[in-house]
Amino acid sequence: MTEYAIETKQLTKLYGEEVGVNNLNLHVEHGKIYGLLGRNGAGKTTTMRMLLNLVNPTDGKIYLFGEDYKNCPAKIFRKIGSIIETPGFYENLTARENLQILAMLRGKHRKDSIDNALRIVGLLDETKKVFSDYSLGMKQRLGIAAAIMHEPELLILDEPINGLDPIGIHEIRNFLLSFCKEKGTTILISSHVLSEIEQLADVIGVMHEGRLIEEVDMKELHKRNRQYVEFRISNENMACVLLEKHFNINDYTVHENNTIRIYYGIEKRGEINRCFVDNGLLVTKMNINEEKLEEYFSNLIGGGKIG
Amino acid sequence: MVNLIRSELLKLKRSKMIIISILGAMVTPIMVFVGVLKAKFTTADKIVTYADIFSESNLYIMLLFGVIVYTVIGSYLFSREYVEKTLKIILTVPVSRVTFIVVKFLMLLVWIIALTVITWVCSLFFAVLSRASEFSMLILKQSIIEYFWGGILLFLMISPFVFIAIYSKGVVVPIITAASVVMINIAVSNENLAALFPWTSSYLLVTGQIENTGYPMWLAIFLISLVSLSGFISSVIYFKKEDIV
Repeated sequence: MTEYAIETKQLTKLYGEEVGVNNLNLHVEHGKIYGLLGRNGAGKTTTMRMLLNLVNPTDGKIYLFGEDYKNCPAKIFRKIGSIIETPGFYENLTARENLQILAMLRGKHRKDSIDNALRIVGLLDETKKVFSDYSLGMKQRLGIAAAIMHEPELLILDEPINGLDPIGIHEIRNFLLSFCKEKGTTILISSHVLSEIEQLADVIGVMHEGRLIEEVDMKELHKRNRQYVEFRISNENMACVLLEKHFNINDYTVHENNTIRIYYGIEKRGEINRCFVDNGLLVTKMNINEEKLEEYFSNLIGGGKIG
Repeated sequence: MVNLIRSELLKLKRSKMIIISILGAMVTPIMVFVGVLKAKFTTADKIVTYADIFSESNLYIMLLFGVIVYTVIGSYLFSREYVEKTLKIILTVPVSRVTFIVVKFLMLLVWIIALTVITWVCSLFFAVLSRASEFSMLILKQSIIEYFWGGILLFLMISPFVFIAIYSKGVVVPIITAASVVMINIAVSNENLAALFPWTSSYLLVTGQIENTGYPMWLAIFLISLVSLSGFISSVIYFKKEDIV
């Protein structure tokens, strides 16, 4: 039986009559990077807040490291680092002083933990600047430092690369990958930048209107036959009938400009083409394409962009 | 708990609120001193005693300025965690919500007592400067006791404003409420009904004037306790159940 770092059962959050999260069953395996995707308002941040005990669930269960998080919150949450949206720190304090507060509250910590965390995010030399004078990118870096300074077993990161410049994004991405691979840290990360998740995640969960509509391994996702052959024909309705009748193909989609995409049986494209022509259809275009991940998820959540 | 208190102290480093509160604590002794100077200019042989200066300063602190200054401090201590969005990082350490709020109240108490000491020292300084008469150790001792209990009672009476600060997540609403309370203090301070208004009766209790109102002392203590406990309990319950967004 797989042991999960995070598991939720029928997790639900209602704000009055509005549904924030709806019967969410999330499964984040130990040592994996789990990317949570969804449009704004899909329920990603609410889910993360519930996992961190900042928001009380209306219903359902949360298990962290196999335990109900309410049974022993101190023991469990010490193993977690987090960033929720834009990180908040005391504006009159420097980065080091802000991290000192967290270290004090945690009690036990390595002496060099603050220096290490600041070095990783490139803030070690910012000794005098107070948080209120930080740029958005610096604030985000400090948030990451706060999340990793106690070397947690689980990182919950909500949009952690917001505000970072491309070099910063590259650095943090590499750091998260090495953190996961070398130390076996489990990471739950949400981002509106789909390409980032694609480069990081082992597993992807897609949320839409509070529900988890897809939870899929990235390898499995890439393995899936998202390659398709696209035909532009004179009559797409007849083409559909021919596909189903002669080739028993149901996995296709019809698009604008008399275009039809066939996902199954691509190797039979020559025969399909001949069949279309023999039945009086005019084929003006045929090409093989691979559906982009963004397109796939857009289709999954019913159009529009992820994020 | 000790680490939480240490962290609360560190949070105040470079905070402008420290200097603002010290200036706030000095305002009443300065006001009293200006009043004494004015009286001496008007009536050259006016005699001002140490007891007068301590008593007037305590009156202004407990009924007027202290209510506002301590509300500002209390609201700042609690609401800054919302304004600076720090709760989501502190509570996930994790820190117990109840312990967190108890430590905050403890900080408020320490701060109020420290400011009470500043007010008392300033009052003494201005009493010496204005060449007040009838100095005695008994008066000093009595004033220290009155100031100390005044500070404690003011702390107790600030708890409802703290709840308002937590609920409204800012300092504006509690300050407006505190200003309204000050207006009522002014309106009822010379009436017997003052014994029934906890913010005014605190002063009457400290200065031993409660029985002059005709109302029993237990009633004033009961009302003060009721209002104070309501503030504390509602703050804890609300904060414990609140969703941090």
